[in-house]
Amino acid sequence: MAMRDLVTGGAACSVPGSSSSSNPLGALTNALLGSSSKTQERLKEIPTATPSGSGPQFYSENEQLRALPGSELDQPILQPGAQGSEFFRGFRSVDQNGLAAAWDEVQHGGPMPPVSSLYERPVQPTFEGPPQRVLSSFLHSFVESSRGGIPFRPAPLPMLGLSASDKQCIRDRSSIMARHIFADKSEDFINAQVNALLSSLDIDNDMQARGHIPGRFREMEDYWNESQGVMRPGPHPADGWVTEFNQHGMDHGGPDAWVKSFEQQHGMNGWVSEFEQSQLMSDQMRGMNMPNLAAMEQTRQLAQTLSRNEDPKFQVKPASAPGDWATEYEQQYMGPPSWADQFANEKLSHGPEQWANEFSTEREHQEPIDDQWVNEFSKLRVDDWVDEFAEGPMGDSTSDAWANAYDEFLNERNISKQQSSSGVYVFSDMNPYVGHPDPLKEGQELFRKGLLSEAVLALEAEVMKNPENAEGWRLLGITHAENDDDQQAIAAMMRAHEADSTNLEVLLALGVSHTNELEQAAALKFLYGWLRNHPKYGAIAPPELADSLYHADIARLFDEASQMAPEDADVHIVLGVLYNLSREYDKAIGSFQTALKLKPNDYSLWNKLGATQANSVQSADAILAYQRALDLKPNYVRAWANMGISYANQGMYKESIPYYVRALAMNPKADNAWQYLKISLSCASRQDMLQACESRNLDLLQKEFPL
Amino acid sequence: MPIFKTPFNGYSVRFSPFYESRLAVATAQNFGILGNGRIHVLDLPPTGGAVVESTAFDTADAVYDVSWSESHDSLLVAAVGDGSVKIYDTALPPPSNPIRSFHEHAREVHSADYNPTRRDSFLTASWDDTVKLWTMDRPASIRTFKEHAYCVYQAIWNPKHGDVFASASGDCTLRIWDVREPGSTMIIPAHDFEILSCDWNKYDDCILATSSVDKTIKVWDVRNYRVPVAVLNGHGYAVRKVKFSPHRRNLMASCSYDMTVCLWDFMVEDALVGRHDHHTEFAVGIDMSVLVEGLMASTGWDELVYIWQQGMDPRAS
Repeated sequence: MAMRDLVTGGAACSVPGSSSSSNPLGALTNALLGSSSKTQERLKEIPTATPSGSGPQFYSENEQLRALPGSELDQPILQPGAQGSEFFRGFRSVDQNGLAAAWDEVQHGGPMPPVSSLYERPVQPTFEGPPQRVLSSFLHSFVESSRGGIPFRPAPLPMLGLSASDKQCIRDRSSIMARHIFADKSEDFINAQVNALLSSLDIDNDMQARGHIPGRFREMEDYWNESQGVMRPGPHPADGWVTEFNQHGMDHGGPDAWVKSFEQQHGMNGWVSEFEQSQLMSDQMRGMNMPNLAAMEQTRQLAQTLSRNEDPKFQVKPASAPGDWATEYEQQYMGPPSWADQFANEKLSHGPEQWANEFSTEREHQEPIDDQWVNEFSKLRVDDWVDEFAEGPMGDSTSDAWANAYDEFLNERNISKQQSSSGVYVFSDMNPYVGHPDPLKEGQELFRKGLLSEAVLALEAEVMKNPENAEGWRLLGITHAENDDDQQAIAAMMRAHEADSTNLEVLLALGVSHTNELEQAAALKFLYGWLRNHPKYGAIAPPELADSLYHADIARLFDEASQMAPEDADVHIVLGVLYNLSREYDKAIGSFQTALKLKPNDYSLWNKLGATQANSVQSADAILAYQRALDLKPNYVRAWANMGISYANQGMYKESIPYYVRALAMNPKADNAWQYLKISLSCASRQDMLQACESRNLDLLQKEFPL
Repeated sequence: MPIFKTPFNGYSVRFSPFYESRLAVATAQNFGILGNGRIHVLDLPPTGGAVVESTAFDTADAVYDVSWSESHDSLLVAAVGDGSVKIYDTALPPPSNPIRSFHEHAREVHSADYNPTRRDSFLTASWDDTVKLWTMDRPASIRTFKEHAYCVYQAIWNPKHGDVFASASGDCTLRIWDVREPGSTMIIPAHDFEILSCDWNKYDDCILATSSVDKTIKVWDVRNYRVPVAVLNGHGYAVRKVKFSPHRRNLMASCSYDMTVCLWDFMVEDALVGRHDHHTEFAVGIDMSVLVEGLMASTGWDELVYIWQQGMDPRAS
């Protein structure tokens, strides 16, 4: 090869690779191009930078690996102290048969270990011993040279019989480990080192499996903001109704607006349903769904502990930074500490673990505060439905079935959540309204009539014609929400926002939507924007607040606004949303009720009230609220499904099924409802209808479960 | 001082929370790059004789970490390089083990930590960028925490608050989490390089330490997390593991690729209070016993496990 000639001067010069020390370039060439005839020699000459004790060990290892097949017993290390060999002798006296048996068990029991696969290959004649040993020594020398900080110049090894997964393993792990060792060397050096290793082992190194992450030096500010954002009490992941609420925005023209979209948006009961459902369903989720209030309380306790505890060990250092972590938590949470009390009563450690003891005594210092809600909740929710679950569904198959159903549901939700964050609107093809003289008017008409799919097409025609038409995009967003298409709804709303960043409904819709996506900072930004852009309340919203939005501040501002204009239902509705965010359900219910006094015919608002009540464990009241919603709008898909969920949450699975079916009959594309139906069918032991559910056979289901 | 020689390269060592003289060692063949793994359960005889291996479990892939259950004295959680999390019962013979094997992580599982306060759950951190929460009796993880952008090297429970834990990742951030919250509650960009380990202070629930590839250990206070409380320099290579003492509030131990184990008092100006260079390869695992004050153990790629009393030379007989 040309390079080899270049390096070695061709035939005229010494044979390439004859001696690494005298011809480093030759060694490099060999490494890169291969020279198998010299590999045996090469192996002995691998340079070691530091004369460490592992040198002799390296060679002595070769002998010992010939012991039990698969056994890795080594000879004793020659330690300076007698201690080492003495203890090692003790080690060696372990029953070797036992180890062999263990080894066999590993071989038969688990996946074939790579080592044994190596043994099955024919031994390469040019190496001393089995490929396993070669590989082992090869890796040793890699680490040696790495530690020494010198470039690794190995010769390529012949077929070691490494499988593809072995190679991937080596590739991935060595690159990750190399990065630890070579912190202060350049990226290129690291890559060169690893590549040398890999090419010698004949591993494809074009695609590094784990490249280092890009942009690892994020600004402190970003992290601060991100942490600020997520430190807010997040709504439960299932807070779908809030999204809906956002999506829809506040329609000054009609009450339906966001309420409808809210309902359509995210599952039947919106977030409540999902929340309830998740509580209901999964024992597994317990870690996540333990009363969030109690959880908040825990962290509040932490904050309290930090700031008030007399125990000198817990003194909080005076924190100068604004937005002190501890005080923020204090501000945010106000729930009762039942969880904490429960825990304190739990028996603690067995051993003399000092800090554990301290922890328990510290706990006892806290005053027990009664809160029926939480106690009721923790016992009722967690214990009862757990028991129900245990007794209810019969046999393993049902519990598996609905556990699987739930998992699928979660996956679908996650997928749709991921997709929705892409934010790109997708137009439908074959739109008959393109070319219509006034598609916006047509769309509004269709929407009013409740022909949502048609309305979508008409509105799409409108925005295709006039991409800057904020109203068109807004209505499109709302329609999609009602039609249960979250992804498109959010995309449309974002376009509406771009077209008109001061439109109040849009701001509101986006605020709630982001809340739902657990992007608290963005949510508060939009809700704050609503306030600022509102002609009446803009004055009370100081601009400087825009940079550091705190839930408590925003809630306070909206409170002021509501006092300024007690007749404005919208403000109360936003307050209701905000209180749901911070899980102050009683206040949320209060706000919604106030809003309902002003807008008693707003069916979506009834649904929202129901959702909040259901979430604060007043399921009976929730059902009444849903019923009111349905009285106002009999075709209200969301409310039907929500009813189903409320029944299901009370364990009345049989009763819940006809409601789901009714909801699905009206909107067969409500995927969430299908999941809930499946779960209820399983829990009510109606496996016979599961097939109908799978195949979405509405006729059969409707016949079987009439209301 | 007792020494034990393992056939494979040591990765992690943990004292049992139930028995003063028992510890577990996680080892991996070929430095954990390729090959099998083995978990050793060692007993220190009370009279100061030789370390005895009471049992050992072989695995098909490297074992990167091991953690004792806090609820059952014979159970171990092992973090294995093939992405599985295995539970071993030391009371059962090796052929009956592992008693559980959870396969959810997509990449190597690098650390396991059992919850010392709630004692019902454990965390695993993996190179697939996630941390997972498990209990022994559920077949699947309870939660997956996916926020890090690169390998998560360690996830450690807060010793006082049973729902709070910290995770250290190669994306250079330390994240504090509360299992009841959907996302992390705090993100600290602790170092400019990969963070290999973190540990909570056992006496102040707001203090934690991180150790990084940048050769430093930083001590943080979550109440004022923009600036570290202390930056400890002294290691010559990446610091692989850091551990706070369960007996002395300000004492920490660390082990590094510079083959030394160091002891630090972070409240003191000259923080380095002890250094041991007994290992002849990367020192990778370290632990301080909860039950016996001052008892420490370390292991490294030189295939040795040292157990010594603080203040003494690990190599002394």
